[in-house]
Amino acid sequence: MMDVGRHPRIKLLTYSEVEDITGYIGNFHVKVRRKARYVNEDDCTACGDCEKVCPVTSVDEHQLGLAVRKAVYIPFAQSVPSSYLIDMKTCLGNNPIACGKCMDVCEKHCIDYDMQDEIVEFDVGAVVVATGMHVFDPTDLEEYGYGKFPNVLTSMEFEILTGPGYVSEGHLVRPSDLKVPKSIGFIQCVGSRDLKRGKPYCSNICCMNTVKDTLFLREHYPDIEAKVFYMDIRAFGKGFEDLYRRSKEIGVQYIRGIPGDIRQDPETNNLILTVENTTTGEVEEHEVECLVLSVGVTPRIDSDHIQKLLTMSTTGDGFYMEQHPKLKPIDSPTGGVFLAGCAEFPKDVKDSVTQASGAAARAETILSAGKIKIEAITCRIDEAACSSCVICSKVCPYGAIGADTKAKTPAEVVEAACKGCGTCAAECPFEAIAMRHFSDDQIDAMVDAYLAVSPTEKVIVFACNWCSYAGADLAGLSRLQYPASSRVIRTMCSGRVSEEFILRAFRRGAPVVLVSGCHFADCHYIDANRWAQKRVEKLWDKLEKLGIRPERLQLEWISAAEAQKWAKTMRDMEELRKTVTKKEIEHTVKVLNEEEEKRLRKKAKREKKPAAAIASK
Amino acid sequence: MAEMGKFKCLRCGHEFEMKYTPGVPEERACPKCGSNSVRLQKEGPKK
Repeated sequence: MMDVGRHPRIKLLTYSEVEDITGYIGNFHVKVRRKARYVNEDDCTACGDCEKVCPVTSVDEHQLGLAVRKAVYIPFAQSVPSSYLIDMKTCLGNNPIACGKCMDVCEKHCIDYDMQDEIVEFDVGAVVVATGMHVFDPTDLEEYGYGKFPNVLTSMEFEILTGPGYVSEGHLVRPSDLKVPKSIGFIQCVGSRDLKRGKPYCSNICCMNTVKDTLFLREHYPDIEAKVFYMDIRAFGKGFEDLYRRSKEIGVQYIRGIPGDIRQDPETNNLILTVENTTTGEVEEHEVECLVLSVGVTPRIDSDHIQKLLTMSTTGDGFYMEQHPKLKPIDSPTGGVFLAGCAEFPKDVKDSVTQASGAAARAETILSAGKIKIEAITCRIDEAACSSCVICSKVCPYGAIGADTKAKTPAEVVEAACKGCGTCAAECPFEAIAMRHFSDDQIDAMVDAYLAVSPTEKVIVFACNWCSYAGADLAGLSRLQYPASSRVIRTMCSGRVSEEFILRAFRRGAPVVLVSGCHFADCHYIDANRWAQKRVEKLWDKLEKLGIRPERLQLEWISAAEAQKWAKTMRDMEELRKTVTKKEIEHTVKVLNEEEEKRLRKKAKREKKPAAAIASK
Repeated sequence: MAEMGKFKCLRCGHEFEMKYTPGVPEERACPKCGSNSVRLQKEGPKK
């Protein structure tokens, strides 16, 4: 961190908050609020005179409430810059001035009670999101007694109690009597791998953190008895199994079972743990003087702020989603934005450094090139047809379309930011957006061609390029058998499949239409496939209203690996197709043609053209 | 806020109840056949 702070080409903005980010790959504009420190950081020598005379003490949030700090303080020992700041919420010196002692003693005259927050703005070509994580709060897991029994700590609090730069200066003591405990228990997976009361995922770092803690304990306090209660130890990294073995060899007890009940001895404040040892099958009681809950990792509670600013998406568990889990694990779906560390998923220091190095290198590829290659498949706005309704702007997952409703100017596409999902084109009510290489005319032509001969024997399938079409490909490569009735139309995203394409297929006599795309967590265009679902749901209502069985329009999320699901879905579609009668199809064609005529008449009126001209187009 | 809703699978016809958040798109699947063609059943007009 020191090196970063001193680097001539790195500008470090600490005690700051990103307020706004606009722009796109290569051209981001960032607005940052630099919070007032009330201490001139350039002149402050961190001599500590101000802290000595400050009469105010409050809870030190950086030491998780285990220590107190003054109103003028350095957040933690390794802070960069090594400069004081004043917590104005507790300081007596400002409004009205009742104290001012720090100002009196500061020889360098660094204290400035009138300092204001400052907004700084700058342009950057790439952004690395490394916003870190939070840890699980075990207060609600009542059986562990956290918050109730003083000697029950979280693993983060244990780090504070054993870290050299913190309250006890590296000397382990238990909170109730400030004595070195003779025995310590660790409970693993607190808040992790728990579908009902915690997080469903493995937090990745807790097992090895506990192994490291036990090694530290036995090295510094050889007489301490250490017990680890676990479901299973996941020591999967390089050298981790050796550490785990060493921990067992030096006498740390590993007990397979998670305590279901913890009581406190009222006289000694020791903790009595009841646990079913699943290795022996017996219920055991263990007494320890201090208990450490190995809490899991959670996404930052304010992660949605950056998510919205950078139009990123998150996985179901709330961490930022990478563009591709195997091929682009560092890139976010938004061009020019990269991920590092636990913002993407829980990981240890080594993996975080690896990913951060990769993210820096990926950012450098943009900055050093000076130019970027953009997608060939982007959208194009027909300015004459655009009514500035801004629907396209709202549905674009990348914020690539700008529109001004007040000025009534046509929408504008930033082609560098457009990834070509086509959701805007599908949603535009005025047909004012064309997709390059996947235009309405091209897709209409495919629908017409497939249904030109024996339409009632065909199933029209709209498949997204990245998942469903690849799933179909895999089904073919795997020689999976399914009926030959399906006719696949590839679109880049299921979000591109407009209502009009589906209705056109029905008008041309298709018995069944299937819209297929990526699973929600896998969408290659952040969340564009949600629009496909919304559209299909809307169409189910419309078809039903027109007396058409909604079952004839199907929706399926099929990933590139789900060849079996693809084949099964095609078999299901064929079964469904057989249930659609000729009479039903005739009724559908008639009703939908009438609807189409109404739509064209409206369009002609809007565009002030003869209906025949619109229809022929 | 999540609420309970009645859903019908448009593949196998299975009707079931599950939690959903109105207005928030969610990936849904029929618990019987696994199909994603799951439709929220709207209640009829109130008298």
